Amino acid sequence: MAHVFEFKGSPVPIRDDLKDAYTRLWSHLAEPGPTLTGTQRLEIAAHVRMARSGDTPQPNDLPSSLLTLAATLFVDPSRVDGPMVLQTTEAVGDPMVVEAISIASMLSAVDGAHAALGADLEPLPSPLVGNPTDEITRGLKRRHTHVPMPAGAIPIALDLLPSVGKAFRNSFGPQYMMEHEMASADFDRTPGLNRAQIEIVSSRTSLRNKCFY
Amino acid sequence: MLRVSALAFGYDLNIAGIGDPSIAIGVPGGNHLLALVDATMAGSPDGITDSQRAIIDELGPESLVDAASVFGNFEMMNRVAEGTGISIPAQAIDRMKDTIDKLGIDSLQKS
Repeated sequence: MAHVFEFKGSPVPIRDDLKDAYTRLWSHLAEPGPTLTGTQRLEIAAHVRMARSGDTPQPNDLPSSLLTLAATLFVDPSRVDGPMVLQTTEAVGDPMVVEAISIASMLSAVDGAHAALGADLEPLPSPLVGNPTDEITRGLKRRHTHVPMPAGAIPIALDLLPSVGKAFRNSFGPQYMMEHEMASADFDRTPGLNRAQIEIVSSRTSLRNKCFY
Repeated sequence: MLRVSALAFGYDLNIAGIGDPSIAIGVPGGNHLLALVDATMAGSPDGITDSQRAIIDELGPESLVDAASVFGNFEMMNRVAEGTGISIPAQAIDRMKDTIDKLGIDSLQKS
């Protein structure tokens, strides 16, 4: 049965397409990934949440460098740099690092929206049973980037892991715009924000995160 | 895209407002949207409530949902960018040079 997002504490009702998008992200987080089990993926999610709240993380068997990278990315992304990522990839490999980056990043989307709405954070889902899928694109290289990826812009940045890249891209539409809408300067989500207002939020968020992208 | 979209809607955008929210940005509800981002990142419940109320009053309840979801989306995008090290193409940086200079963000460029 799919997890139901309640947005408890939100002063306004939430559109169904956004609830559905977050339900899909929650299912994605709970599933076995390319290199990690569902349990391990949710251990990373729980760890980074605790790092932000200042609580003591639960002990687990995941590599400490991987947990440190994920927590740093979640709490203060501007502190993540090439040497930190490369040190972790040397310890656990590129695919596991990309998987951890995706977990911290996708959780930031869901938790960030809840925080802006003043809603309670959604409890993490229960893990699904199964072994890692080993679904990894072979032959990719670094393109002056910290991890291997195809040529292109940020929507393909996680495509070392095809299922992860797909989940990432599928979340854009309800949260921001569909990829084909991104070319429209006059996009208007009536009722809701128009493109200029949307880009004010995106620009200020990126500036506060000290992220130029 | 902010400049282009502001033009498309006929707004008199002051891009400096992105860097300093005390400046009137020239887009309807724009300063309330900036305030929501800042209050959320500061973890300020009162600030969040105040900016939410202003957004609902001026732009409507659906706009608050949009603002929150866009904020969440860019929390995610920024982390993917930092974690993977993907950078903006040089030609895009050239295109945005004026904005970069106005906001003083050239130091945020990473290789």
